[in-house]
Amino acid sequence: MIKMRGLVLTGASFALTMSVVVNAWMQKKQFYPTVVYLTKSSPCMAVLYLQAFVFVLLLGKLMRKIFFGQLRPAETEHLIEKSWYAVTDTCLAFTMFRDDFSPVFVAAFTILLFLKAFHWLLEDRVDFMERSPVITFVFKLRVLSLLAILLFCDVFFVKTSYQTTLTKGASVQLVFGFEYAILATIVLTVFLKYVLHLIDLQSENPWENKAVYMLYVELVTGFCRVLLYICFTAIMVKIHTFPLFSIRPMYLTMRQFKKAVSDIILSRRAIRNMNTLYPDATAEELASTDSTCIICREEMNAPAADAQPMQNATGVNKKLPCGHIFHASCLRSWFQRQQTCPTCRLDILQNQTRPQTPPQRPAPPPAQPGQGPYPPMYPPMYMPPPNMQHPMFQPPQNGQAPNPSTSESGNSAPSTSTAPPVFSPPPMPPIPGTGPMFMPPMPFMPPPPPIPPNFEGLSEDQVRSMEGHERRAVEMRIECLRNISLLMDAAFHQVQQYITVVQAQGDAGLRINAMPSFATQQQQQGSSSQADVTSGSHTNEKQDTSSGPTSTEDVPGPSGLPQTSAETNDTADAPSSSSTSNNGCETDDIPADANELRRRRLAKLLSDKSSPDHGKDD
Amino acid sequence: MVGSALKRLMAEYKQLSLNPPEGIVAGPVNEENFFEWEALILGPAETPFDGGVFKTSLLFPTDYPMSPPKMRFISDMFHPNIYPDGRVCISILHSPGDDPMGYETSAERWSPVQSIEKILLSVMSMLAEPNPESGANVDASKMWRDDREQFDKQAERLVRKSLDLPPDL
Repeated sequence: MIKMRGLVLTGASFALTMSVVVNAWMQKKQFYPTVVYLTKSSPCMAVLYLQAFVFVLLLGKLMRKIFFGQLRPAETEHLIEKSWYAVTDTCLAFTMFRDDFSPVFVAAFTILLFLKAFHWLLEDRVDFMERSPVITFVFKLRVLSLLAILLFCDVFFVKTSYQTTLTKGASVQLVFGFEYAILATIVLTVFLKYVLHLIDLQSENPWENKAVYMLYVELVTGFCRVLLYICFTAIMVKIHTFPLFSIRPMYLTMRQFKKAVSDIILSRRAIRNMNTLYPDATAEELASTDSTCIICREEMNAPAADAQPMQNATGVNKKLPCGHIFHASCLRSWFQRQQTCPTCRLDILQNQTRPQTPPQRPAPPPAQPGQGPYPPMYPPMYMPPPNMQHPMFQPPQNGQAPNPSTSESGNSAPSTSTAPPVFSPPPMPPIPGTGPMFMPPMPFMPPPPPIPPNFEGLSEDQVRSMEGHERRAVEMRIECLRNISLLMDAAFHQVQQYITVVQAQGDAGLRINAMPSFATQQQQQGSSSQADVTSGSHTNEKQDTSSGPTSTEDVPGPSGLPQTSAETNDTADAPSSSSTSNNGCETDDIPADANELRRRRLAKLLSDKSSPDHGKDD
Repeated sequence: MVGSALKRLMAEYKQLSLNPPEGIVAGPVNEENFFEWEALILGPAETPFDGGVFKTSLLFPTDYPMSPPKMRFISDMFHPNIYPDGRVCISILHSPGDDPMGYETSAERWSPVQSIEKILLSVMSMLAEPNPESGANVDASKMWRDDREQFDKQAERLVRKSLDLPPDL
């Protein structure tokens, strides 16, 4: 239908032109007067313009047949869409150069549009290479010859406009020069992409780095284009006026460039994460799950033992912190777009520290019950004798004291493991909740007592002190409180992590300033229920005596610990709470202090729960 | 060597032809180009679209499955979540960056875990249960909410049209 109409229109145009020319010839009978007549008469010129337009279209169709064959629907759609924008821009340009308006000028713009259309088509066609499984020799020939022709045209027009500008001064030629220069960058991009696609098609294995090279091609050519546009705008503003018609393409180019830059950054980060953070999946892990990579739907094979040097080959599979396994290459291309696990959408960047912590992570759970509302379960190291506090918790170097103890537990040498140095420095000592992270691995220390299942650890008195309701209800409450304590422990871990960050910045002063305020805050909150504390410290003493000696054994000698006996540990409690003001450095006080305060707070929570009316007073 | 996108599309095509899900037929328009598909979706039973066979097109990007395909109904549709021009507005077809309606959490967006089959099944369930909150077609949303009878009639007409039957009188 459309084809028919086009044919009719073309025929009509030819007929019209013929009639106009024949009519003129009949009137003037001579060549020269005929030409003059034709150019002087506006209707005749309109018909001739129309004819020229039809010629251009026909030529375009011919060239398309030669270089592209049949266009795909998507290509046609792109072409039409882009053409409309280009025509609009051109019309805007016409308004700027209305003084220069002439047939030559219109012709120049038509040629520009014509060539632009072929650039777009070529771009699309080369992009299509990635999708099409078969690339014929004809295809290569077409692409290469068209590339050569377009490049030649671009260079030729740039040169012409350059010379015109030099000889005749700035004019519309400047606009053409820049337009063709930009088209030349497109030719360059297309050529580079073509080469990349060709290399990819030639190789047997998927070319992992192709995407990266494509990004760099985009980046470089995008940068060239941005530079060209900036120069163009600057020059135009200087000699003429602001080039309105180039705003749209300029904006698009800038946006594209920005995207190229951010793509590069993201992909670099993705690759770095891939290589450093996530462990390779082992053969067992692969076997235990469905061994299909959900991204590409292909098998994941465990890498052979001798395939070590091929780091980026498809054979390597990566395991994310959430336990999902993918091909490294698939995962990388996904991370270029988004930093989440494709399956469960765990945010990978936020969980970066996770994979490093496992050495310590398993530790807290056994200790946590001990942090419950019941003082007896406090790990012994919390109540070191006052003389120990100084050497142990004062400066950063000593803060690492617990470290040797972890390594003594036999799994690794002190300096080989990567994680401890990161986490061990002083951050923890001041914060009670985090202390146990270091303790548990100690070989001789009895594990913190588990929470008695029947709450037999509580005397009848203690139960009665909680309002004397029936035992079952109290137990339920305790259950609930234990959950609260767990939450609070989590909060303390977070606080500890913040402190780690603060200290990682190497600002010791910050720490000293920040900690006391933290402590005083706690003091204000927790200073109410003194009674609970005393009862708590009693039981704590017992705990200390039982495990004190073993814990001291583990701490290296120089700190003077070996000499301290169980007896000194026994007396530890009283001073630790009262001696806070005596110690020179404020940071030292916090361990005992905050520890105590926390206990008070928990105790208070406990009492609040069991007697709601009292709780309201606070 | 063929690209990973093509490989995966071929794998999905194979999968879809071996065990086709009920009410769905899908495949590339021609075997030369695996990036343009057509799919037929059967209107889910006991819904206004019951019995209709709706034709859709799927356009895949070169970086599939990293980016979602574009889906469009070729058959005429009147549905709150289908734009008047046939584009489908469901969250799993949106990459996590864009959110045309501003209501989707990233959890329901596109991810490489999704597949053509899942998309088509989601579209089927969307036909059964429109989400009027993200109205791609405001008229349809309004009619669906306020005048269900009229909406059902409209849907019935489209079903007949999709089957090339003369409209009911």
